[in-house]
Amino acid sequence: MTAMRRDLLLCGLFACAALVWPMISDMRYSVTQTTFFFIWATVVVQWNLVFGIGGIFSLAQVAIFAIGAYVTAMLGYYLGTSMLLAMPAGAVAAVAASLILGIACLRLYGPYVALLTICVSQVLYVLIVNDTDCFTNPPSGCMPLMGGVRGFSRFGDLGFRDWLGAGFYIGNYYVGLLLLTAAILFSIVIIHSPMGLAFRALRDNPVYAAARGVDRFRYQLWIFGLSAFFTGLSGAFYAVNTGVVGPVVFSFQHLLFLLSMIVIGGVGTVWGPVIGAAVLMLADEAMRELGDFRDIGMGLLLVACVVLMPRGLTGLFQDISRRLAKPAGTEGAR
Amino acid sequence: MDVFFQILASGLTLGAVYAISTVGLALVFGAMNMLNMSHGALMALGGYMAWFTMTGLGLPPVAGMLVAVLVCAGVGVMIYLLIAGPMLHSEGFETRVFIATIGFGAMLESVILMAFGPQPKPQPLAVQGGLSVAEVHLPVQNLLILVLAMMLMAALALLLQKSRIGRAIRATAQNRDAARLMGVRVGMVYALVLAISGGLAAVSGITVSSLSSLLPNMGGDPMLKAFIICVVAGLGRVPGSVIAALFIGLFEAVVQYTVGVRFSFASLLLLVIVVLIWKPQGVFGRHQGVRL
Amino acid sequence: MSDDLVISDLAAGYGHQSVLHDLTLRAEAGRLTAIIGPNGHGKTTLLRAISGLIAARTGEIRLGAERISGLPAEAVVARGIVHVPQGDLLFPDMTVLENLRMGAFLPAAARQERTVLEEVYTLLPKLRDRENQIARTLSGGERRMVGIGRGLMASGRVLMLDEPSLGLAPIVIEQIYEVIAGLRRAGRSILLVEENAMRAAAIADQVHLLDHGTLAWSGTGAELSGRPELLETYLGV
Repeated sequence: MTAMRRDLLLCGLFACAALVWPMISDMRYSVTQTTFFFIWATVVVQWNLVFGIGGIFSLAQVAIFAIGAYVTAMLGYYLGTSMLLAMPAGAVAAVAASLILGIACLRLYGPYVALLTICVSQVLYVLIVNDTDCFTNPPSGCMPLMGGVRGFSRFGDLGFRDWLGAGFYIGNYYVGLLLLTAAILFSIVIIHSPMGLAFRALRDNPVYAAARGVDRFRYQLWIFGLSAFFTGLSGAFYAVNTGVVGPVVFSFQHLLFLLSMIVIGGVGTVWGPVIGAAVLMLADEAMRELGDFRDIGMGLLLVACVVLMPRGLTGLFQDISRRLAKPAGTEGAR
Repeated sequence: MDVFFQILASGLTLGAVYAISTVGLALVFGAMNMLNMSHGALMALGGYMAWFTMTGLGLPPVAGMLVAVLVCAGVGVMIYLLIAGPMLHSEGFETRVFIATIGFGAMLESVILMAFGPQPKPQPLAVQGGLSVAEVHLPVQNLLILVLAMMLMAALALLLQKSRIGRAIRATAQNRDAARLMGVRVGMVYALVLAISGGLAAVSGITVSSLSSLLPNMGGDPMLKAFIICVVAGLGRVPGSVIAALFIGLFEAVVQYTVGVRFSFASLLLLVIVVLIWKPQGVFGRHQGVRL
Repeated sequence: MSDDLVISDLAAGYGHQSVLHDLTLRAEAGRLTAIIGPNGHGKTTLLRAISGLIAARTGEIRLGAERISGLPAEAVVARGIVHVPQGDLLFPDMTVLENLRMGAFLPAAARQERTVLEEVYTLLPKLRDRENQIARTLSGGERRMVGIGRGLMASGRVLMLDEPSLGLAPIVIEQIYEVIAGLRRAGRSILLVEENAMRAAAIADQVHLLDHGTLAWSGTGAELSGRPELLETYLGV
């Protein structure tokens, strides 16, 4: 069985298991939390393509996600656009923003990319939060163009409320599942495609790859743009699902939370980000009771994982399974 | 004309504040290719330590400064021992240490938040009063910051250029293997560099909070600006980053006066993008030969 | 005898790759020992293993009575083994003088910095003229001289030179080798890695031929000159 077939099979199994989950679990809370897991997992699966496969240390993914969310919300709020149209529009806007950013920063050396992208997302945050000029004046109070500190609410939904009534969240759940499944499929295809191969070649032997005509910039721009589509779409879905979009999606804590998922799960693997997203959401849930200690715990978890597990949980699994597969006594041999 | 001097004065003060926070970052990146993302949290820690020593323990300002510097230097050493040191020789050090220090900074910030609460506090290590020279009004605090920054930069330059340990730091930054072959213990150099950077972060935190107020997340914006300055100067160029800091301070003062405070950060960013397109390695940077 | 550099059953390499194995050889004190062999067969790796830049996997390296394998590079140089690496590895943004002074970084060497600096300037007079020039702006030959001068500043017991003629014009190579010959006459212990076997044979007291990471032949320089078939087999000369 090829690696690609194995990954596709796993993806199918995962989707089937997730399909029945709302039927088994009758707790609304666990279903809505799983919906959030779908959103975050989609973002980090795509981020992983940029960071782990493309080798671009970009921190702009959160900003791209936020652009998807904001464009969707603003279209709904100002123009009353149907969410079914606004969501893809948000995704397309995210792709456009991502391509502009890519052209600006992809020729830079690693750390410069990280700094530039983090600055871009922070500046967007500052611009939105500090904007106090009223764009419209609805009864609820002054509304700046980008929503200001409050952000947007009541801009529409997918219509599940009318259709399913109180069970509307289950409709959102399946949309989220569809989104994540598509994102994972896309990731699997990219990783095992000629483009994934080209990136591996660029990473392992840049000179040879360049000599064979692999144009790093072009491939990086492609992956930057393509991954932005699903990232933006998940942002759009986040807007629809929560019903509120505020500057918090740009925040540094949010970025840290998502970055931790990739790093803890395992950078550059198909399943690492998904596992990381699940683990971190569970850890977050477990530490909810801890109050102030929660942030400290999350920071500690991230630091410990980076220092102690260079290749994340998936790397750890691989090492353990390799050791178990090998008969005792041959451990030292390489 | 008065406006010109007013902008010049506030720009230089801003630049001096930035310079103190930036050289610490530049020093660490230059010596060990490490972007210390917990620098902002260290700044906050320094500010709060001075507050705690003076307001909490009732000690004099000198003690406040000293405690802040020593505590932050100690945390710098801790960052080396617990985070940077263990992963120094492994693959992907640059990205991993970047992420790990983000986590450490978030932790430190939460600890500060728990210990001191979310309400803003005034920085006691500040001087009231102002000076008026020919219609230009200058708060004494700003003058003090300017003098302090100049003294610190001079001391740092002296340390790096003239002392044995300074030569060891520069040697390690320029060629790690060669420095080891000369007998330099690079682990000690790295720990020392992080300690110096921590101490500078403490001073920077005190100056920043003396101009506004103490908040657990007060280091975030100054750190991002410090990184912008580092990028403009070229990562790891210590003298260049001082010049860039003064320039950015003046630039920001001009933008604040002409366009408005709201756009100062955004215009800085625009400046960085222009600089990076013009000179991808920063103004004072040199193209590093990529080892293949 | 007490200062002989003795290598026994050494194995070393990078990552998963093993470069040296079962290597046993000796560099006697006060003599010039040359290591020759084809490119990529472990000459540089041997020097890096001795100076502690890479760790020995198995085996042992001793200087006199003291075991130095397992020590980090900064401790090895403190024991008196000075490595002048291939490609000089100068500190590019420092002046020539600062580079030289870095050579005498350890306290023991720093105490006699002034006298040794005079000796180095006498041996390599060009460096005195270039004293305040930034290292990155030097020519290839000048860099090599700074590298050797910096090594001499450490006042070590063994000087290891890795391909001092690499990439230089013939006339500059002559100058460098004159300096090395002078050091040999002065009774310094020198371990010289050289690509050019004939040049090594001309200057060395003892020659070791490395092939595929292990010792293929040992003899005096004169003996090597009389064995053309060796050179043909191993070096394709």
